[in-house]
Amino acid sequence: MKTTKQLYSYYLVLPALLIYSVFFVIPAFAGFYYSFTDWRMDRLTLEFIGWNNFRTIFSDKTLILALKNTLIFAVVTVLGKNLVGIALAVALNMKLRTRNLLRAIFYSPSILSILVIGIIFTPILRTEGTLNHVFDTLGLHSLSQAWLTNPNIVVFTIAMISIWQHAGFQMAIYLAGLQSISNEYYEAATIDGAGSWKKFTNITLPLLLPAININVMLTLIGGLKVFSEVFVLTGGGPGNASQVVGTIILRAFGEGNWGLGTAINTLLFVAVTITAIPLLIFMRRKEVAE
Amino acid sequence: MRKGRKAAGILTAGLLAFALAACGSGGSKSGGAGDHSAAKESSGKKVTIELAISKSSQDSAFIQQDLLDEFEKQTNIKVNLQLIPAEQTTTVLQTKLAVEEAPDIIQYNLASATTDLNLERNFEILDDEPWASRLLNKDVLSAYGHIYSFHVSQDTGMQGVVYNKDIFEELGLSIPNNYEEFLAVCEKIKESGTTPVFMPYKDNWAINIWPAAAFADFVSKTDPTFFDELNNNKRKWSDIPEFQTFLQQQYDIYKMGYTNTDVLSDSYDMAVGKFLNKEVAMMFMGDWLIEGVAQQDPNMRLGVFPIPAIDNPSLGASPLGGQLFIPKTAKHIEEAKKFLDFMASKEIAQQIVDSKGYVSNFSDVTTPALPEYKQEIVDLYITPKRTVLTTDAYMLVDRNELYRMLQDQFAGGMTPEELLKAWDEKFNQLMTDKQVPGF
Repeated sequence: MKTTKQLYSYYLVLPALLIYSVFFVIPAFAGFYYSFTDWRMDRLTLEFIGWNNFRTIFSDKTLILALKNTLIFAVVTVLGKNLVGIALAVALNMKLRTRNLLRAIFYSPSILSILVIGIIFTPILRTEGTLNHVFDTLGLHSLSQAWLTNPNIVVFTIAMISIWQHAGFQMAIYLAGLQSISNEYYEAATIDGAGSWKKFTNITLPLLLPAININVMLTLIGGLKVFSEVFVLTGGGPGNASQVVGTIILRAFGEGNWGLGTAINTLLFVAVTITAIPLLIFMRRKEVAE
Repeated sequence: MRKGRKAAGILTAGLLAFALAACGSGGSKSGGAGDHSAAKESSGKKVTIELAISKSSQDSAFIQQDLLDEFEKQTNIKVNLQLIPAEQTTTVLQTKLAVEEAPDIIQYNLASATTDLNLERNFEILDDEPWASRLLNKDVLSAYGHIYSFHVSQDTGMQGVVYNKDIFEELGLSIPNNYEEFLAVCEKIKESGTTPVFMPYKDNWAINIWPAAAFADFVSKTDPTFFDELNNNKRKWSDIPEFQTFLQQQYDIYKMGYTNTDVLSDSYDMAVGKFLNKEVAMMFMGDWLIEGVAQQDPNMRLGVFPIPAIDNPSLGASPLGGQLFIPKTAKHIEEAKKFLDFMASKEIAQQIVDSKGYVSNFSDVTTPALPEYKQEIVDLYITPKRTVLTTDAYMLVDRNELYRMLQDQFAGGMTPEELLKAWDEKFNQLMTDKQVPGF
């Protein structure tokens, strides 16, 4: 028994560790360093400028708006993707004749390229677009909106599109979780006279927690790192109304302000880490063994 | 049941692997560097030089295959093209220059190169090249008092109101000479059932055509030292109250219903189609649009007149674009200069000028017969000196934030007054970052 344990030496992790260091650890730390400098496209030398970049971030109205938009997007999509995902998973775990077809349909948006989605949704969401036409035809004029050009709702519109795209992916993970729950629990609960809502809250949800954890983590990290949805649908516009941290980083790099760009990136990295790790620990504790 | 569970397990594992892979790809920052097929550098052997150009400039005269083949035959120098995706051109070139992996020749716009690519630090001065003495107009290739770039044309694009001449003739309209006359023209066109003005302001740069010409036209006539003082931090954008008026004018044209309804959803690429279908009569744009329409339908008769923000306006002239530059860190500077010599030679330059309909910039190369609209620009505006360089020529910074603010004005988020104040702040920050003296 002992010999098998010693068969592989720890030195064998070295190649992987080396690759990981070169391509992740070193760039990450270099990024930390550069975020404290005035690194710019048009300057040969760079100087250490302390917290100046971070001060700029928190005094610039657009950057604060971008942070706010990112938070809104993350919260809305975490809730939306997971609620819709669980609902779909529970519904499509029932014995329906079209179950497999429906699963495939709901999953399919998540394999589309975001560019394609941008091209599809832009005409739908125009002020004179398909969606508003549908509302008008139904007599629901009050629901017609300038979905992508009204600064007050554009972030929510983008969040909804993201939910539409990814809820099916979350559904797939929840389905796997649901199928690992033994039927015996439900049978026992039925004998005890539990209704379907009781069964859902007392059996399904607790035993689904591992799947919920992984899904909340994935959607939260994805939400905070949002870039492509915004870039494709609005480019951060109209004006700066839908800027998020990801697009602001691109803007800073575009202006040649590489130090500021890396500083925002560092901030994003820290924000993702300090929300994700405690959340992970908290949710791990809540998990129950089957 | 067991089979189903196994399948679910595999599915989950696959999905997780996919999700992790997706997470991993988010962090990469590839600069899209092209492959460097390093040429063997022993003398007498074939040398390969790299020419980097934006994909959107693929119709450039300098990269026509027959010219490149001819060049290779004469000099034994092969030109390898690096095509850069349009929206990444600036970033990719900035990166290549910063890490000293510059191509040997770059095609770019001179005005943008001074703001985006740090001309003085990165590029060769070309004052002493043999072709320089034959130039008619050195200004369109120069900055900071030196020739930094190469082109065979001196035909700066014009910016104003591009209009459909047939619609104007049918309705008996003449070219408006001030804002009131312009509104009257809009009203007549609207009554006839055509949309007077097309505003594709999803592409925010297009919002700047009106102000860029109006601002420059106004100050050139009333306050000619304004831009110098602005760039020395002695004046501000918000100092000129008329600028507010000009911003309000453009917004009012939209508010009065003289435009497409969905201005923030419509994009520039729809413009050619709108003109071809005669859905619209006018648009604030550069004369390159006329060429784009003519390529689709040579019978369309379009023209351009000055932005009618003030009385008797002048036509806005944008700085010349599409010049060739040689980076200081290029590996084959001599070969790159030979490439410019080749393009500047009388026969080749004549060939390019003829095929593209350029206004020649060489004393020994003749300008061919121009298309109608261009000849009109020459006769009505260039010869009587009724043109004015737009603000683009005087703004030394990245203008994207200004474009976003203009878009914000149309989204209802900013008044012209707030906009100019906000741009003052951003302009000051950008100039300070660039360490411009006075800021």
